[in-house]
Amino acid sequence: MTGVRTTIVVNGSDITRSGPAHYSLLRWLRDLASVFDVKYGCGEGVCGACTVLVDGKTVSSCLVLAVQVDGRRITTLAGLAGADGPSALQEAFIECGAAQCGFCTPGMLLAATEAVASGELTGRDDIRSALHGNLCRCTGYQAVVDAVESVIGTVEPTRGF
Amino acid sequence: MYVRPFDYLRVDSLEAASQALIEQGPGSWVIAGGQSLMPLLNVGLAEVDILVDISRVRGYADVTYTNELIEIGALATHRTLEKDAAITTGAPLLAAAIGHIGNVRVRNVGTIGGSVAHNDPAGEVPLVLAVLGATYRLDRGVDTRSVAAAHFTKGSFETVLSRGELVATVSLPPTQLGSGWGFHEFAYRPGDFAVAAAAATARIQDEVVADLHLGVTGLGGGPLRCRSFEEAALGAAPADLAGLEHLISSDFGYVADSVESSAYRSHLATVMAGRAVADAVRRSMAAA
Repeated sequence: MTGVRTTIVVNGSDITRSGPAHYSLLRWLRDLASVFDVKYGCGEGVCGACTVLVDGKTVSSCLVLAVQVDGRRITTLAGLAGADGPSALQEAFIECGAAQCGFCTPGMLLAATEAVASGELTGRDDIRSALHGNLCRCTGYQAVVDAVESVIGTVEPTRGF
Repeated sequence: MYVRPFDYLRVDSLEAASQALIEQGPGSWVIAGGQSLMPLLNVGLAEVDILVDISRVRGYADVTYTNELIEIGALATHRTLEKDAAITTGAPLLAAAIGHIGNVRVRNVGTIGGSVAHNDPAGEVPLVLAVLGATYRLDRGVDTRSVAAAHFTKGSFETVLSRGELVATVSLPPTQLGSGWGFHEFAYRPGDFAVAAAAATARIQDEVVADLHLGVTGLGGGPLRCRSFEEAALGAAPADLAGLEHLISSDFGYVADSVESSAYRSHLATVMAGRAVADAVRRSMAAA
């Protein structure tokens, strides 16, 4: 199998690597580009740990080929913070203690970022619906929903678990 | 997730894709969103020599809409359709059913043409398109033909598509004034494959059923229209439909698999169908 030269804009910086055509975006990021904040969970698109934003939309990086996103802009957890520090959602996750082991947290934050940006969240049911594709094996969902809810501004954040 | 290596070819037209798939033969598969194919490759249930990528072909990601016809490009994503005003108003059943597909990530990337061509027996899209009476335009190079959804499926994951032939567009009549819809599915977890699902449309006129379509899936062989029930329902008063529910399962075929018994699947499908019909009737009466 011949190597394919692929350039992807990761968190604003061009990364170019040559790799096998069959590499998923997830494997390309971790094995070729050393982007380790994207986590390998299930490899089947179910768990959400490998979530990245492609042009602002969440994608399971294990379910797209790196060559398919050649030239596109992707955002990982490390790209969420701005020049003036963590995003409001990241601050809320910290404030609410919305992480236990932390393995699902990058995917949770990226999914929540897309959901909040959509402007369609009105309450906890919407938040749970938007995040049902992201699994937390510590089952720390309560605090995650608290954190997202605090950002959409419906109620004051409460401490979960 | 160490998949068997394969080659990759990106094409910029459906004609080029057809040509490549014909030249490369059975080891070549087409990929668009890949949200069904990639999991199969990742877990080793499918193996390919080369993927032909049509995801960047231009001109097939849009929805066009007239009073007579909604035409959807095969590369339109589920997420696009779920939010598109032409779909939410002109085909609300389709928009609602798409909301049950996987999760947001799957819907951001997965395409309607892919769902049609994959023809998963648990799939929402083939079911709803069969109930809505959709027509698919199938292209193979310069050859093109139209096939009704009802004639497209040949069973689980089996379709009339020949080698190199691609789903190009999906056309369906917009919902009629005064008609209602219903969609219910049973899955063990939100976003999981449906064990059974049912979709219905109904139009109540002069207090009787003037039109009713009902389809179920999860019975092992792809979407199934419940023709006996549909025929019996015509002219019936809405209140009498419950008495016809025994006819729903009369069209069911072989339904057992290694997980659920035949009786359980039949029961689930009948319950989902009854709820879908009730919702469709209720919405039609509310719209009148």
